[in-house]
Amino acid sequence: MTTPALELDELEVRHGAVQAVRGISLTVDRGEIVGLIGPNGAGKSSTLHAVMGLVPPGGGDVRLHGNSVVGRSPEDVARSGIALVPEGRRIFAELTVDENLRLGSAGRRFGDLDSVYELFPVVRDFRKRHAGALSGGQQQQLAIARALIARPEVLLLDEPSLGLAPQMVDAVFEALAQIRDSGIAILLVEQRAQRTVALADRSHVLANGRLRLTLGPDAANDTETLVSAYLS
Amino acid sequence: MRRARAALELLAPVLLVVLVALFGTIVSSSTQTYVVTTLVNVAIVVALYLFIGNSGVLSFGHISFVAVGAWTAGILSMPASEKPAIMPSLVGFLRDTTVGNVPSLALAAAVGAAYALLVGLPLMRLSGLAAGIATFGVLEITHNVLRYWEKIGPGLNTFSAVPETTGLLQACVGALIAIVVAFAYQWSRYGRMLRATREDPAAARAVGVSVYGQRLLAFTLSGAVAGLAGGLYVHLLPVNAESFYLDLTFITLAMLVIGGATSLWGAVVGAVAVSAVDSFLAEAENGVNVFGRTLDLPSGTRIVVVGTLMALVLILRPAGLTGGRELRVPRALRRSVLTKFSA
Amino acid sequence: MTVDWQTIADAFGLGGMYALMAVGIGLVFGVLRLVNFAYGQLVMAGAYSLAFAYERGWPVWVGILLCFAVVIVLSVAMDWVVFRPLRTQTPAVMLVATFAVAFLLQSIALLWFGSLGKIAASLSSLNQPWTVGGVDIRKISIVATVVAAGCLLALVLLLGRTNVGLHMRAAALDFRTARLLGVRANRVIGTAVLLSGLLAATVAVLMTVQTPLVTPDFALRDTILVLAGVVLGGMNRLISATLGGFAIGFASGFLGGALPTNQSQYLPSFLFAAVILVLLIRPGGLFTRFGQQAAERV
Repeated sequence: MTTPALELDELEVRHGAVQAVRGISLTVDRGEIVGLIGPNGAGKSSTLHAVMGLVPPGGGDVRLHGNSVVGRSPEDVARSGIALVPEGRRIFAELTVDENLRLGSAGRRFGDLDSVYELFPVVRDFRKRHAGALSGGQQQQLAIARALIARPEVLLLDEPSLGLAPQMVDAVFEALAQIRDSGIAILLVEQRAQRTVALADRSHVLANGRLRLTLGPDAANDTETLVSAYLS
Repeated sequence: MRRARAALELLAPVLLVVLVALFGTIVSSSTQTYVVTTLVNVAIVVALYLFIGNSGVLSFGHISFVAVGAWTAGILSMPASEKPAIMPSLVGFLRDTTVGNVPSLALAAAVGAAYALLVGLPLMRLSGLAAGIATFGVLEITHNVLRYWEKIGPGLNTFSAVPETTGLLQACVGALIAIVVAFAYQWSRYGRMLRATREDPAAARAVGVSVYGQRLLAFTLSGAVAGLAGGLYVHLLPVNAESFYLDLTFITLAMLVIGGATSLWGAVVGAVAVSAVDSFLAEAENGVNVFGRTLDLPSGTRIVVVGTLMALVLILRPAGLTGGRELRVPRALRRSVLTKFSA
Repeated sequence: MTVDWQTIADAFGLGGMYALMAVGIGLVFGVLRLVNFAYGQLVMAGAYSLAFAYERGWPVWVGILLCFAVVIVLSVAMDWVVFRPLRTQTPAVMLVATFAVAFLLQSIALLWFGSLGKIAASLSSLNQPWTVGGVDIRKISIVATVVAAGCLLALVLLLGRTNVGLHMRAAALDFRTARLLGVRANRVIGTAVLLSGLLAATVAVLMTVQTPLVTPDFALRDTILVLAGVVLGGMNRLISATLGGFAIGFASGFLGGALPTNQSQYLPSFLFAAVILVLLIRPGGLFTRFGQQAAERV
């Protein structure tokens, strides 16, 4: 058995007295998209923050290719090969598109501009502009491009479709499929359950900080299962 | 139980202040001056606590209120015969009015409150860093104006010839008044509302508390206490504009931070503890006899020690020596004594 | 009001020095959200180093080297001992802490060197005038202006053209996201502290030419004015903070030179009244676009 690219092992997160994540375990392999869906407050973002070292886990372990990254600073986690596309995109609106991309390779020496431009031509077309001048969808593409430029082994995305027009969502999900095919392990946190389940190799439903259910792509059209998973 | 807690919250600082005052009666007269200064410092730090501790908003401006209190009491209680020599350009009604000791102190508190209200009206909209810098601006302006405006005071001169009425008794009573005012405020519904805004401004606003209004009330009240303390100061020592500037701001803030900014007990403990260390070192800078050996420290040691203490407390124990909590009786004792007490 | 060329040149020189101090304060504020009240004490330490070298008759360049070494060591030490442990505290707590550090350093200077002051006059020849187009202007006014402009230009290039500059700009805008991209927090903060130390040392050299008597409160007054200028300009952006610092320096140099004393003595009051007004009306500062607010309001 090979070690998975990313492995969460009984991960727990506490915010003061509140336990946001109560021991979840999952794995993401190279060339695989794993979805993490669930209602607001289920602990999805907390899970990603714990992986990145933004909040210290209350227990459990996070392993990248079998090596624990718990206790490292966010920049060290980024440098070891895990990239996060944060919720709300968090691009630097006052810097140019190019500068945003350069920041993406802050952690690692090499930048992979060509394949990023190929995936998101808009980023190349507007590279001298201020990132704040881009549309929401373009900003999302920039945020993903910025994460990819350091050639991470694992890509985490926190609600990339939030606030985007439907055709933009299509473009983003299409890009994610291509990124998967290039051999990157993707953990996708989403509210759009149906689209995520359809895209991902498997999707975990998170509620009250626990994994309730695991769904395959074939469950995407099984509305009943999805609804009951959310309401359980 | 609640009443017992309240009683302790008032009694502990009161007892500490009374003990300090009693200590003052048994020491030499030169040491007594330090004790009296300590008690006046208690009043200033309690004034700082009343606003900063309850609101969680920083103020570098309170020494301005101490200063206008000192100016008020100093000008009004100086004998009319002395005024022309020290304050030749004083405006008419200040020149012609002379009041006694107690009225001068009451007026000092009133002017302190009025000035704080005036300043607070615009400034209480600010929080955090902006509040810190704006109140610092108030200190700068007050200091600048008092230094040069000779129509309302001695300008660069020193307040000599003010009756030196602040002895142990007056300083002790002043400190006790400050403590009682702060205590009454923090147990009132206004005090509770302001502390709610400190913990969570959004939630407090959501239940209808006016953050601005509550801060303004506390600011004004603490201005009154600071003004009173200024009055006590001018009756204690010959002060001038430099007495109420950065040094006093620093040392009183240090007292509050070292003691613990979020409790009355912390404010009083901080004022007493730091004053004690400070007085000892000030004395040692002039050479002091400790256990038969002469300790002679170079001048400047005081602030080095106090500054180091403050930095250490901020880094290692940001809630202060008392942890920012009121004094609590240990649990075991509480069960046996206090339940009987309140039953 | 009497205005001559010397007054204007002095105002430019002072404006330049204050702009450098504003940058020094603004760089650290950008990455740490910390207003360093103790910045003036770095300048003071540098000035004492120059005086120390002058007293022993060391060559000018040794004095300047010592000045830079002392100021940089001190600013790095300040970062390690005070700023880092306090990084998670609120800006207000950090302001109180640096206020304490300022007093601490000042009284250490008092303890070591006494209150009388030391003389640092190794560059006093710069107070001689140059004749420019028939007008006499003291060399230091021109040197200060040129040095300030040079430092600012170098800084603009560093921030705009290098990777570490880009990282610092990103950290100032959104520290958390910058870290998520792999920007090393400690390196960015260390660089900001180092640069602000370099600027403080530069200011120390320039300032001792004009004020050769070094006392424990050396540069204290100037720091307070610069802080006011930084807030007036808008401390969220380096460029507006710098402009604010320059404006305050220029204004106090110009008005201080042009107005008679009995009119200029209330200058600080007007200045701080303006600071308060700006905080209330345009919390982002005068030199920022509207809508960028630094201060929380209730």
